[in-house]
Amino acid sequence: MWIPAVAETRGSDRLLLSTRFALTAGFGGLLVIVALGGMYGIRVLQKIRRDENQIRRQFLAKNHALNDLRSQLYLSGTYVRDYLLEPETGRAESYRASLGEVHQQMETALESFGRQLEPDQAEHYTELSTELSDYWRILGPIFKWDAGQRRRQGYAFLRDEVFPRRAGVLAIAGRIESLNELQLNAGNHRVDYLLSEFQSLLAMILVATLLLGSGMAAFSAWKILGLEARAHAQYQEVVGARKQLAELSARLVQAQENERRKVSRELHDEVGQALSAVLVELRNWSTDSGTQADAQSRGHVETVRELVENAVRVVRNMALLLRPSMLDDLGLVPALRWQAREASKQTSMDVSVAAELVSDDLPDEYKTCIYRVVQEALHNCSRHARATRVDIRVQQEPGRLSLFIQDDGQGFDAKQTKGLGLLGMEERVNRLAGKYQIHSVPGSGTIVTIELPFSSNGKEPATRGHEKDPNPVSG
Amino acid sequence: MDMKKIRILLADDHNIMRRGLRLLLEKQAGFEMVSEASDGREAVERAEATNPDVAVLDIAMPNMSGIEAAQRITALLPHAGIIILSMHSDEGYVLRVLKAGAKGYLLKDSAENDLIEAIKAVRQGKAFFSPEISKLLAEDYVREVKKRGAEDSYELLTSREREILHLLAEGKSNKDIATSLNLSLYTVETHRRNLQDKLNLHSLAELILYAVRKGVVS
Repeated sequence: MWIPAVAETRGSDRLLLSTRFALTAGFGGLLVIVALGGMYGIRVLQKIRRDENQIRRQFLAKNHALNDLRSQLYLSGTYVRDYLLEPETGRAESYRASLGEVHQQMETALESFGRQLEPDQAEHYTELSTELSDYWRILGPIFKWDAGQRRRQGYAFLRDEVFPRRAGVLAIAGRIESLNELQLNAGNHRVDYLLSEFQSLLAMILVATLLLGSGMAAFSAWKILGLEARAHAQYQEVVGARKQLAELSARLVQAQENERRKVSRELHDEVGQALSAVLVELRNWSTDSGTQADAQSRGHVETVRELVENAVRVVRNMALLLRPSMLDDLGLVPALRWQAREASKQTSMDVSVAAELVSDDLPDEYKTCIYRVVQEALHNCSRHARATRVDIRVQQEPGRLSLFIQDDGQGFDAKQTKGLGLLGMEERVNRLAGKYQIHSVPGSGTIVTIELPFSSNGKEPATRGHEKDPNPVSG
Repeated sequence: MDMKKIRILLADDHNIMRRGLRLLLEKQAGFEMVSEASDGREAVERAEATNPDVAVLDIAMPNMSGIEAAQRITALLPHAGIIILSMHSDEGYVLRVLKAGAKGYLLKDSAENDLIEAIKAVRQGKAFFSPEISKLLAEDYVREVKKRGAEDSYELLTSREREILHLLAEGKSNKDIATSLNLSLYTVETHRRNLQDKLNLHSLAELILYAVRKGVVS
């Protein structure tokens, strides 16, 4: 009985371990996938933002430089015009100096612009710088001109040389700008591509998570259902075992009652009858022998008779204590009345029985239950409670059978004290699906109330059929 | 006493007991054993066949108890007197036996002392109980009255009612009583109803039991 149970425990332990491992691995994997995917996603997003920023920054910087170049070019044109058209030598010199400054600035701007350029813009850059150096080279001779030359040739020079050159430079700058814009678009496209790649990756992670997650969920659900089924089975087992136990104890009580009945009857009928017959014979003998018998043998016979009478009394008391024959012969109420009378005789208690509409042929379990509960209660009253008065009331109503026992004894704490006797009462009542209540307050008596569901029309509820008494009256 | 012999049926499942009682009864002049039975059903059959004056029945017999047999014999032969032999010295049994129609209740261990007297009493329609039973019932009654501290209900009865109680307990019918007390039947019935109300008794059986407890009859 023990070994399979242990083996089963071990088996279930192993199963439990493997289940735990599977659950840990599954949910762990799921978490790892989600975490890695999240981390990767964050990194990709950061990269995209970085790229985007860089592209924008580069575009803006190049545009800025190009605009600088343009404005400086316009500024240089203005200075050239002012220089050529200024009649006063001092002022013309100052314009020339400003022009030199602008030239310097343009060189710097061109250089920094050149550093920012991609390889594919190099061609345009070279073109631009060539055009610019041509522009400056053409301007070179005018600084050697005197005021008269400037006045004479200045305007024509501006119109024929400076403005066309400047337009050429501006055209190149415009080309570079549009190229720049193209580059910005390409960058944006690259970002878009990264984003879409990230999107598909995200979708993949999502699908994988979903698949693994649903797998885990299915597995967990399956496991939980299995556990639930097992728990249910075990619960059923426990319930069954408890029911069996209750049945067993009920059967035990029943067996004890039957045994008592049997022994009681045997004592009463067989032993008692035999002794009674002995008494009859003895008396017949003494009347028959009459005066012929001597005093001595009459004395002997008298002694024997007394002994036998005593034996009859003992046997009868034993039988009644085991199980009073009234319970089977006369029914519950006469048996209770007898018990009350006996208790009144033997103790100082005044025991009364009131019975309302109680039928004589209650099923055996009900009779026995109520009788034994009353017996136990009276025992408690006289032993522990020191009651002087006990009122017993039995009441049969449609659907139920009630018993009230009230005493004026010491009472007790019903929550703390629970002897075997009280447990026995409760057990008997529970067996008949009845309610059992003890209301007791130390110092002010005890009320025992039991209520048994019972329908008097033959069909007894919630209990096994009672055994038919094969021998209804004992003599 | 009439010269006719009293015809007796004896039923007990214990042979020794039956034999002992039969020996006792056969020795008695004026008694005639007409039949014997060893169980309740047989007792009813024999009673029907032999029509005895008195049936002496053991309370516990196989097939049918003495109480049930008494009930059936009373139904078949209303004039037969029935005595129950019992081992129970308990009021519950006495009441049940009286309700079954028997008039005599004898304890088995002392049956042979009182059986002859009991048969004669029952033959005349009177109740008869073993002295132990009468004593027991009276004692219980006294104890009860004492314990409850209640007024003895017997004191509530008028002397006429007591007289009628006495006669009823002796087995007299209302008509007999009316004749012997020189009263109308209606008056007797009224007295009887009053006394039953006062004593809270509901049947003749309870009335007889009460009378025994009070020691009005033995």
